Amino acid sequence: MNTLVVENLAILLCASIGFFSGFRYLKNRKTLYASMIVLGVGCILLGRLFQCVRLLTGGSITETFQVGILGTMGAFSFFFSSNYGQFDSLVDNGSGTFLKYRLISLIAPACVAAMYAQVVFSPAKTPFKIGCGLACVVIAAACYFHLKHLLIPDAEYGIVRCLRQYNATALCLAVLSVLELVAMAQGIEWLLIASGIGLGAVSLLLIPTMDRGVKAWRT
Amino acid sequence: MENMTVILFLCSTVPMIPALYLMPDKRSRLFLGYMLLGMVVCLIASEVNTVLLQWFGGDMAYVNTNITPIAEEFMKALPVLYFALCFSDHRDTLISISYAMGIGFALLENMVILTANVGKVTIIWALVRGFGAARMHSACTALVGNGISYVRKRRKLFYCGTFSLLIAAVIAHALFNTLIQSQYREFAFVAVVTMYFPQGIKLARQILKKKGAKI
Repeated sequence: MNTLVVENLAILLCASIGFFSGFRYLKNRKTLYASMIVLGVGCILLGRLFQCVRLLTGGSITETFQVGILGTMGAFSFFFSSNYGQFDSLVDNGSGTFLKYRLISLIAPACVAAMYAQVVFSPAKTPFKIGCGLACVVIAAACYFHLKHLLIPDAEYGIVRCLRQYNATALCLAVLSVLELVAMAQGIEWLLIASGIGLGAVSLLLIPTMDRGVKAWRT
Repeated sequence: MENMTVILFLCSTVPMIPALYLMPDKRSRLFLGYMLLGMVVCLIASEVNTVLLQWFGGDMAYVNTNITPIAEEFMKALPVLYFALCFSDHRDTLISISYAMGIGFALLENMVILTANVGKVTIIWALVRGFGAARMHSACTALVGNGISYVRKRRKLFYCGTFSLLIAAVIAHALFNTLIQSQYREFAFVAVVTMYFPQGIKLARQILKKKGAKI
């Protein structure tokens, strides 16, 4: 088995544990914010499952555009949706007071763009670069809110503090996801192994950190 | 020979159209109507897929596993979105019509594949396609229908949530297509059959509950 198969199988296992540990949020449907994060991890699971199946059936995931990359897109789209649609209006009223934090948070998408430049200038094929580009757009959008909710001060409810640990973990997931794309595009094996280990650990930690934050938020 | 897909479409939909006007129940008419729409979408999808196949240099395996799931899921979601925007965004109704769309789509798709492989098909094939494709298409569309139900209630959630659910549906669809085309096609059947478990358990619980109430 090559590195890509082992890496994808490891992340698949970790994401499965993470997803099933948060499955109760999907059953009770009371906390939409948490449900969306669990569904995001579910997207990682599905994407990795597809990539494993594609690799095991003789296909390639680095030569052309493949649906597995949509798993990362879906996951960050859910994270973006939960932050932008559910959480952001509670912590940012749009006033000039928080302008500084909004501007500083733009560093996150800028970093994603800088890392994506490594994919653009790699010897990888164009369809793969386009797929990575689409994923990076969604990752950048989600990153903006993760960093913003990490930095922004608590206005009155104290909810930002509760979810800081989760936002930091999600930010790590974003950085590692882009690094994995860079490693695949440039063919850097050590970076692929390192990002794979990191992605597995973060996929495993995402739901427990969110769980702790949501419990603290509700009490 | 004329286009077999169109012939199959006409043979299966034309007898259903009078029933749309004869059925007294509104919900049944809606369900049947969306089943018919599912078949219309399948007919359009077959033409779109032919164009996509030409675009990607005739690589059938690649197009079937990576491109058609995106096109098909997107096309199946549009009539559900139309219903949510113009008539009702009630979650249960949207999920019901999504299921109907998926079933209609799977019905015509199965017939098209059957006629294309008429010499090779077996009863096992019919069972796998019957249970597998119907469940996969209906579950994927219902997943998207769930997100569309937020269209009027919470716009911010609707845009991102529906996009995310559409992606989840596309991957599930692509996974099924990849497995069914590979040497591990039994796994596709097993995966789809396990999707029947939650509803089976729910149904068994309801039956047991009713029996308990009678005793």
